[in-house]
Amino acid sequence: MSPSPLNEDPSKRASSEFTAPSSSGVLHLIGLGLGDERDVTLRGMDLIRSAGVVYLEAYTSILGVSAPALEKAYGRSVCIADREFVEERAQEILTNAQSQPGGAAFLVIGDPFGATTHTDLWLRARERGLKVNVVHNASIINAIAVTGLQLYLFGQAISLCFWTDTDRPTSYYPKLLQNRRNGLHTLCLLDIKVKEPSLESLARGKKLYEPPRYMTVNQAIDQLLEIDSILEADELVEDTMAVGVARIGQPNQLIVYASLGTLRQTDFGPPLHSLVIPARELHFHEEEVLSWFKPKSHDTTKPQIS
Amino acid sequence: MVNFTIDQLREIMDRKYNIRNMSVIAHVDHGKSTLTDSLVAAAGIIAMANAGDQRLTDTRQDEQDRCITIKSTGISLFFNFPDDLPLPKEADGRNFLINLIDSPGHVDFSSEVTAALRVTDGALVVVDSVEGVCVQTETVLRQALAERIKPVMTINKLDRSFLELQLEPEDMYQNFSRIIETANVIMSTYQDEELGDVQVYPDAGTVAFSAGLHGWAFTLNRFARMYSKKFGVEPEKMTSRLWGDSFFNRKEKKWTKREGKGGVRAFCEFVIKPIKKIIELCMADKVEDLTKLLTSLNIKLTTEDKELRQKPLMKRVLQKWLPADQALLEMMVLYLPAPAEAQKYRAELLYEGPPDDACCTAIRNCDANGPLMLYISKMVPSSDKGRFIAYGRVFSGTVRAGMKVRIMGPNYVPGTKKDLAVKSVQRTLLMMGRRTDAVDSVPCGNTVGLVGLDQVIIKSGTISDVESAFPLKDMKYSVSPVVRVAVEPKNPSDLPKLVEGLKRLAKSDPLVQTITEESGEHVIAGAGELHLEICLKDLKDDFMNGAEIRVSNPVVTFRETIEGVENPENTAICLSKSPNKHNRLYIYATPLPDNLPEAIEDGKVTPRDEAKARMKMLRDEYGVPEDAAKKIWCFGPDTTGANLLVDRAKAVQYLNDIKDSCVAAFQWATKEGVLCDENMRGILFNIHDCSLHADTIHRGGGQIIPTCRRALFGAQLLAGPKLVEPFFLVEIQCPETIVGSIYGVLTRKRGHVFEEVQRPGTPMFNVKAYLPVQESFGFTADLRSATGGQAFPQCVFDHWSTMAGDPLDPAETVGTLVKAIRERKGLKPVVPDIGNFYDRL
Repeated sequence: MSPSPLNEDPSKRASSEFTAPSSSGVLHLIGLGLGDERDVTLRGMDLIRSAGVVYLEAYTSILGVSAPALEKAYGRSVCIADREFVEERAQEILTNAQSQPGGAAFLVIGDPFGATTHTDLWLRARERGLKVNVVHNASIINAIAVTGLQLYLFGQAISLCFWTDTDRPTSYYPKLLQNRRNGLHTLCLLDIKVKEPSLESLARGKKLYEPPRYMTVNQAIDQLLEIDSILEADELVEDTMAVGVARIGQPNQLIVYASLGTLRQTDFGPPLHSLVIPARELHFHEEEVLSWFKPKSHDTTKPQIS
Repeated sequence: MVNFTIDQLREIMDRKYNIRNMSVIAHVDHGKSTLTDSLVAAAGIIAMANAGDQRLTDTRQDEQDRCITIKSTGISLFFNFPDDLPLPKEADGRNFLINLIDSPGHVDFSSEVTAALRVTDGALVVVDSVEGVCVQTETVLRQALAERIKPVMTINKLDRSFLELQLEPEDMYQNFSRIIETANVIMSTYQDEELGDVQVYPDAGTVAFSAGLHGWAFTLNRFARMYSKKFGVEPEKMTSRLWGDSFFNRKEKKWTKREGKGGVRAFCEFVIKPIKKIIELCMADKVEDLTKLLTSLNIKLTTEDKELRQKPLMKRVLQKWLPADQALLEMMVLYLPAPAEAQKYRAELLYEGPPDDACCTAIRNCDANGPLMLYISKMVPSSDKGRFIAYGRVFSGTVRAGMKVRIMGPNYVPGTKKDLAVKSVQRTLLMMGRRTDAVDSVPCGNTVGLVGLDQVIIKSGTISDVESAFPLKDMKYSVSPVVRVAVEPKNPSDLPKLVEGLKRLAKSDPLVQTITEESGEHVIAGAGELHLEICLKDLKDDFMNGAEIRVSNPVVTFRETIEGVENPENTAICLSKSPNKHNRLYIYATPLPDNLPEAIEDGKVTPRDEAKARMKMLRDEYGVPEDAAKKIWCFGPDTTGANLLVDRAKAVQYLNDIKDSCVAAFQWATKEGVLCDENMRGILFNIHDCSLHADTIHRGGGQIIPTCRRALFGAQLLAGPKLVEPFFLVEIQCPETIVGSIYGVLTRKRGHVFEEVQRPGTPMFNVKAYLPVQESFGFTADLRSATGGQAFPQCVFDHWSTMAGDPLDPAETVGTLVKAIRERKGLKPVVPDIGNFYDRL
């Protein structure tokens, strides 16, 4: 992740960014949080209502509710921006931010600078001379603390991506090893493919989309254990304890603390899933909280909804 | 004609030393099919209703009409080895099964020859005694030796030497020895160490002399046996006396090595003269003298025979005296290898996997109880419309009806499921000309037809029953599909028929390519005009049930390349950013060194080579910089093409993670280049540098593939893009008087003559020229009209040549051409600007 653009040059940062400007020429990057439509902050809500046009970034995460539910809650029509739109037609967003009264609101699930990096949009907006207004919210990066693991003790986060027959990157594994060596927890974000063009169609320069896929905790564990044996790291084994989480921040969130072998068999339900490989040594407080998430011994496959 | 039951036949198939698989190969019109006929008539196994007909192996109506062979056809012969001759070492009994494949001679169909050679171990090379070794003779010989096929030769159409040209015996000898020498020069050029010396010599028994049309042939062995009694010399010694500088003085009854006074060359005296005498007597109708002579040769004429006059008489007499089937079959059995022998040295060449694994060992030992290894070389349309029989050769193991097999296509990667299918063999067939007979199993060393696999095999493939098997190497064709036409149904409702028909066409012919363009245009690509004509006819009549189609004017396949620029690592680097802007790729293109593209296309440099040896070869022989030769990521297009992607970046983190994405982008970019979607050729893409996002997801395929593709296209545009066109090698034989007109036609068509030689001893000239394929349409017709039908060209793809001019400038010829190609393919008429690919920092 690039260094936070907000630290770039304090002198240029107008204080007005923190108020709610109703004039045009502003790009509002608004975090929606992790739960449903009501997780938005009040300031965020005001800006959404006053913005000239509202975009919802819909490819790096998914919210517990559908877009129409958002529209209803905010009383605004929301334009769904997929990856192609954000990456290749960002100019359109910026043009609207410039011309529309109230600017453009760009809604990001979680936090605008959390797990997803929208720094490029920020840079482009600044290059155009636009003001950028950021409204923060909860992100998986901080909400993961719900597991009891202390945020201060997290090391580099890694992303696990779907393997193909030929492309099986393992390069993130050494980071995990490093974290473990340094006594840090590792947050593993799991691949999500929404409206992804198939690789062959990309290579040919035209786009055919694959059905959406979300990596499950089970798949992630399979992959990690396989990498461990490929690299002969001997770090993660079936007995290694880990935390599998699903739909954090949503009413039906699920947290399970168990061995990798057990987690591998556990059904975590609908997306999104994440996985935490804790440090080898845990703080007693961490242990205490985690023990609440251990599955009941008689039924390991259907843990309690916490 | 031998009448055999299938059971008897099946019994011989188990004796792996008593089988000979061989193909008949030659230049067009040197008499392959006619010669094959005379063999089949005498020794064909399965009785056919029209056994006496001419050109049995030409099973198609158009083959009969045009008098050329289009598809290779297999036929089985039975040969009972004469009792008085010594058997080959390991033979098991005197019964031999000879599977013979008659292949086409016309260059346009040489892919059929390739397919035929793969399933055989030996080849009978037929050379016209008058025309000598021609361009296609050389091509097929080269193909045969590359497959480690052992050749024997027959000098055919001897009747022309005797009757038409009325050559003197010594001239005849000189002519024959020149032909043999030319052929031997070719063979020693392409010699393969494992195969050993393959040159042919009459005194070694590997050259026969034949007159296919008249059904007679002989080897020197035949005459030597005849004379050895008379002179009291061992047959072997006699044979060597009958060829070369060996003279006989009749008066002194003495043999000499030098042409002394009164000495006559033994070949002329003892071989040519008797034949000449008989021919003369027959043609002069001197039946009484003839009968006397024949009695001394122990040949009896029936009363019926004596009624014959002149040519028919001559034919009958010579057939009785020197039966073609005996001479040729004997030569095949004695000098061509049995499968069990041939597979010893062919195994390593055929098998892609390690030479010491179970499969390779089974192939080497021709082990009928080993793992099944079977190569399908072609798909033959069956009488059941729309279905195909997979035709191939069992190299090890035994294939049985009902057996479950793994079918590995040409793109199969061992250990994966790519291009792999598992299916049951419905039936196993013996293929004999147009007839098929079901048997329950076929052991290794034999050819076989399999039913029930046509859904999964496109053109060729390997069949095995063990999971660890590597595939057998796919065939390499000596011709390329450089001529293409677009087709559409006259009646739009026939479109589904066309689509289905094209699929079947692609199956039925080893070489033809059927492509559906972006624009929805259906394209058929073939080796030449004649090949396309036949394909279109097949498509219409056989695969579309006669539905009418409209055919565009033929167009040519081009290639895209670059001429390179000075100092490209400073001036021609294309920087492309990924869509999320977190990754940057820097790539520049340089031309591959001269000869390297050819070496890659000929399979001398391949992606499968051992990396270190390949690096040394590229560095030392072709002058590729060491750091580029060391880190070759891939070849392309289709992972084997003549473009390279190399990693020359220094100390870049995560570079290996994006390799797969770059390779995928490279495959397609080189397949559909930036100029006009044609294949690239001869471009070395260098990854100069890249900076990548630290997180895997942010540098996944979705980010890197489009970026790499843009960077490659940009690099191509920055390095001086050029268009490359294919050239035919044209060989024309004609009388001296019309050589001038040939020059005229060639010059008009941008062709140039590079060789013009008189054929020794004849008034004929041999003209060789290069002709752009683009200009070749209608060339044959033009030449025919300009020369009064006296010149026939043979065109075969020879090389690629870069076209002058800037393909990006529509004012230039080549620019117009690019624009036309783009429009035909439904692309925007103008080549995209560099701005589409290059990102500012």
